Amino acid sequence: MLKIDDLHVAVGGNEILKGLSLEVPAGEVHAIMGPNGSGKSTLSYTVAGRDGYAATTGAVTLEGEDILGLGPDERAAKGLFLSFQHPMEIPGVQTMNFIRTAMNAQRKAREQEEISAADFIRLVREKAKLVGLDDAKLKRPFNVGFSGGEKKRMEMLQLAMFEPRFAIMDETDSGLDIDALKMVGEVVNALRGPARGFLVITHYQRLLEYIKPDRVHVLAGGRIVKSGGPNLAADLEKSGYEQFIEAA
Amino acid sequence: MKASRRIPPSAFEEDLAAFFRARENSDARHQAAFERFAETGFPNRRVEGWKWSDFAGALRSAAANTDSAAHDVIASSPFAALNPLEFLIIDGVPQKPAAVIDGLEYGIVDPMATIPDLESHAIVNLNVAMTERAVGLTLRDGVLLDRPILIRHIQTKPQPAFAKVLMRICDGASATLIETFEGIGAGFASLLAHVDLREDAQLQRYVVDQSDNAGVSHSMFAVKIDKDASFRQTSLSTGGRLVRHETLAHFCGDGATAHIDSVALLGGERHADFTTHVLHKAPGCKIRQLHKGVARDRGRAVFQGKFEVERDAQKTDAKMTANALLLTDGAEANHKPELEIYADDVECAHGSTVGALDDDALFYLRQRGLSEHQARALLIEAFAGEVIDAIEDDQLRSLFAGRVAAWLEEQQ
Repeated sequence: MLKIDDLHVAVGGNEILKGLSLEVPAGEVHAIMGPNGSGKSTLSYTVAGRDGYAATTGAVTLEGEDILGLGPDERAAKGLFLSFQHPMEIPGVQTMNFIRTAMNAQRKAREQEEISAADFIRLVREKAKLVGLDDAKLKRPFNVGFSGGEKKRMEMLQLAMFEPRFAIMDETDSGLDIDALKMVGEVVNALRGPARGFLVITHYQRLLEYIKPDRVHVLAGGRIVKSGGPNLAADLEKSGYEQFIEAA
Repeated sequence: MKASRRIPPSAFEEDLAAFFRARENSDARHQAAFERFAETGFPNRRVEGWKWSDFAGALRSAAANTDSAAHDVIASSPFAALNPLEFLIIDGVPQKPAAVIDGLEYGIVDPMATIPDLESHAIVNLNVAMTERAVGLTLRDGVLLDRPILIRHIQTKPQPAFAKVLMRICDGASATLIETFEGIGAGFASLLAHVDLREDAQLQRYVVDQSDNAGVSHSMFAVKIDKDASFRQTSLSTGGRLVRHETLAHFCGDGATAHIDSVALLGGERHADFTTHVLHKAPGCKIRQLHKGVARDRGRAVFQGKFEVERDAQKTDAKMTANALLLTDGAEANHKPELEIYADDVECAHGSTVGALDDDALFYLRQRGLSEHQARALLIEAFAGEVIDAIEDDQLRSLFAGRVAAWLEEQQ
């Protein structure tokens, strides 16, 4: 489904990703673990199409379609979702208005009908309940005054609403307590299915207790240095990343 | 602003002088005002307070032809939806309104001389010299006007136009004033307004400036705010070749409040200047001022704000904020916040920022599916929204928001 082939990315003149290759087939959840500075966020920004994170060589395809030439909004319309590690506050932007505008922009790009105001309100209320955000939060400017945990819930709300084909979750677990981790697990597990893929980027094994990955990859020095089954995460927790840093 | 003449009069200034001399109805105060203007001419960039807005330069080759051909039919204003009492001032000439409202006296009146504080203001002097008739409005004690007053300043010809408004809101009365500046062509337009806001009176003033790309205009809104009175002003300008809106507010009685907010949205080569001077003469008055400037291309947003607190104006509570958003490299913002404080027990603060759109926020919005234009528009709307959202009246707020949205649409 998502296929990354020999991806090299330089940011500000420094090469961060140095020939990264990875394939997540439809229906699977893969985890990427790795030490700080290994290129995890660069990978998520590059796949999502952030300015300044262009591939020097290599390819990224989503269901066989090259996405590297597309803008971030075009990739979103193709069903790519990034849950941000540090979701920002956007003062003055009304949360509901923004999510509805985004949803309709994606639908329009896919030549689907816009969601009606009534259907949208119903959907957003239902999903807000699922992720544990009360209605008052939805009436605020986007993420303004939210705690770190609430911002992650807002990411999960959007994941649940957009139902993307492929989601990258960039350290969604950072700053979350056990209840919130469980909620993230529930949202992701409810969306898991044969036509959808996930790439879960994390430092720790903790989140993977709630989202069982099909494969685990170790990213170090800008490359995948080891891949294995779900047990690799537990092994890493014991042995640490030291061995890979040296190897990379 | 005292400055001796450094450069000879421009062709435009000479034409204005010839026009003034040929006029029959000039009296001593017109004469005196014109002489004060002629001493300095239009302010140029070497004059204190005018370095970013060079009227002398912009008007050097303006046309002073003053024939009075009939104007076209005037289209209705979007503010007509509010059922206002509408005054038209077309090319500086006030038209007599038809409606009658209880408690409001209005008509076309003889203008008075300028207030002393403005005798050194060149463009105000020129306005005093050139205006023969003014729109006069008096709202009697305790009258709460339930319809807004709409004054439309309409420029139909590329010729100089001078207009004047005199307004008195008596004790305990309340009014909403909407003023629109609508222009075509490369004219010069000047407005001078004197407003007397008496004890416990309220005035909400909304300004929408839709000057023409080539227009050069100046407005001076001088308001005296008496005890416990409240003045609230929200202005939106999309600029012109050179546009300056000045507000001079005098707090003359205790416990009065004012909000003076402005938004400038400037593309192309457009220029808008919001200059304000708030003078605290009485204790316990409160001012809040927020300016938002957005510029792209070679647009230029100028903000000059001055709070002057006299020795007796203790317990003054004053806060000024100016934020500018520059969307492209050639755009410019100039801010000059000034506090001049002679009282010791006051709270006065000002803040000023200039920045670009936040890349993190732009990427976030686009990752969610918004196009680059949609994402930028949403962030610009949010930036201006701090002023627009503070408009209490729903209809007015949505008309202002609509203007912002229309401007964003034009920039696509």
